[in-house]
Amino acid sequence: MKKVSKEVLKDAANRLMFDMSDEQYNILLDEFDVITKQLELMGEIEGIDKEDVMTFPFNCEVDFLREDEAATALTQDEVLSNAGSIKDGQIKLPKVIG
Amino acid sequence: MSNYLDLSIKEIHSALLKGETTPLELTKEAIKRAKANKDNAFECLCEEKALLKAEELSKVKVPEDKIMFGIPYVAKDNFSTKGIETTGGSDILKGYIPLFNATVINLLEENGAILIGKATLDELAMGGTGTTGHKGITFNPYDKTHTRLIGGSSCGSAVAVSDAIVPFALGSDTGDSVRKPASNAGLVGYKPTWGQISRFGLFPFAPSLDHVAYFTRSVEDAALMFNVLSKHDENDSTSSFKTRLDDYSKLDGNLKGKKFVVLKEVYDSITDKVIKDKFDLLLNKIKEGGSTVDFVEFGKKLLMAIYPSYIVISSAEATSNNANLDGIKFGPFYKGNTYQDVMMQARTKGFSPLIKRRFVIGSYSLMSENQEEVFKRAQKVRHLIVDRAKELYKKYDSIICPASPSIAPLVKGASNQLNDTYLIADNWLAIGNFGGFPSITIPLGFEDDMPFGVNITSDAFKDFEVFNEAFAMENILGYRDLSVLNFKDKEGK
Repeated sequence: MKKVSKEVLKDAANRLMFDMSDEQYNILLDEFDVITKQLELMGEIEGIDKEDVMTFPFNCEVDFLREDEAATALTQDEVLSNAGSIKDGQIKLPKVIG
Repeated sequence: MSNYLDLSIKEIHSALLKGETTPLELTKEAIKRAKANKDNAFECLCEEKALLKAEELSKVKVPEDKIMFGIPYVAKDNFSTKGIETTGGSDILKGYIPLFNATVINLLEENGAILIGKATLDELAMGGTGTTGHKGITFNPYDKTHTRLIGGSSCGSAVAVSDAIVPFALGSDTGDSVRKPASNAGLVGYKPTWGQISRFGLFPFAPSLDHVAYFTRSVEDAALMFNVLSKHDENDSTSSFKTRLDDYSKLDGNLKGKKFVVLKEVYDSITDKVIKDKFDLLLNKIKEGGSTVDFVEFGKKLLMAIYPSYIVISSAEATSNNANLDGIKFGPFYKGNTYQDVMMQARTKGFSPLIKRRFVIGSYSLMSENQEEVFKRAQKVRHLIVDRAKELYKKYDSIICPASPSIAPLVKGASNQLNDTYLIADNWLAIGNFGGFPSITIPLGFEDDMPFGVNITSDAFKDFEVFNEAFAMENILGYRDLSVLNFKDKEGK
């Protein structure tokens, strides 16, 4: 397990495209004292790492293909109605390629 | 008007059929009560729309086969509602107006139910206290001094039903977010088998654990509601194709021959004598009714690992499910030099500190160095826990245990998050989410005028059996139609 430090937590936050205040990183660092102990409880189960992972409660089996039906889900105006920055019928963003 | 809103859905429907009240009268009264409530239960009220619909419905004959016709209800603010601002309790979705209804909202609409408001919740349903939404703390209506929580994340929905504003409310349950507040609020809280109720339009938190769930004031109402909501939905890829029963509300309450199992470690880790005594009393009664009850060890190490595996899986899934909250497609837009700047600002300013810390736990779990030892290990623990529960279901019909180790926690209370009471008795309900098992909490008793509940959890697709067992216990306990308005009359029973 990667050793927890303020830098590691900042990296974890930045990977998700947000930042926190220094105070919040310090609170989280303290919380990780408890979290780490809780995470260690998982490792105390005998033979745990030989088990298979479970990603969903059970498989949802589908044994047929549905018909393709053309439909318009949303109009352009509807799609743009919740965007904060629009121009000429499109969402406007800063340049991606220089 | 008389207190129709304190009654069950079935009783209100009967009053509507007899013409004793109308959808308009009910809706006006519900809105009046919602406005009078001081517990911070609402994100918004849909007064105009609700009254308009109620007026229309009041002009037509009440259909006998539409049990929810003309009855007001409340939905947690993480269900998409067309044309009604839906924020999930987060500033990052301030101003977001969905373009479609969640499937469950549509089903209730088709059946004539009237949405009067959107309820408060922990931010994006990620929390169990009802304190982290952008509207602040939601309080327990049983405690007028506002020193106790109702719990979350479906806090506002729980208030709306327990304070007799509406007879039912939609919530969501990823760890215990309906069944735990139900315990704190003296309500029936039902989480169905995973896939039995469509999640289309429910803001995803952790889809492998998320369930649409709901509060009612009687078990029969919960079963009636299941009849309406449990339909296959092609918009939800995880919606079950299994055939549903014609009617889940034909309950006989017969306990004869039923086999219940109490998880010994859950029972042993509860120190509250009042809760244990009342639970013991219930066990004696159900044995008198012809059931057997065994105390069995689940495996302490497995139970101690429920919370860490839950927090890892849910936080990790939440990181990707909330990646779309970027301030671009929706959410407040902040100018920046790059699109990364735009996103960083929106997400830094839009999420509250607590939810960011949860996201960081998820992000940390998914780092390549941690995947085996944290994320995958949590998924392996989940597998073992579900296997153990299924092993028990080969021999027993249902697990029964107190839903919570205590009455509703204090607002300023602090708990030791490493002891057995917290890790086991306060978190065992997540077994239901791990396995997608049907699970119901019903009121069990009172301590210091505060309610507490008992939970019954069974194997997947045994929804009817769970309703029937809970119905029998509700008859024994006598807490049907409980609310803050009438609990004093029922408390001593």
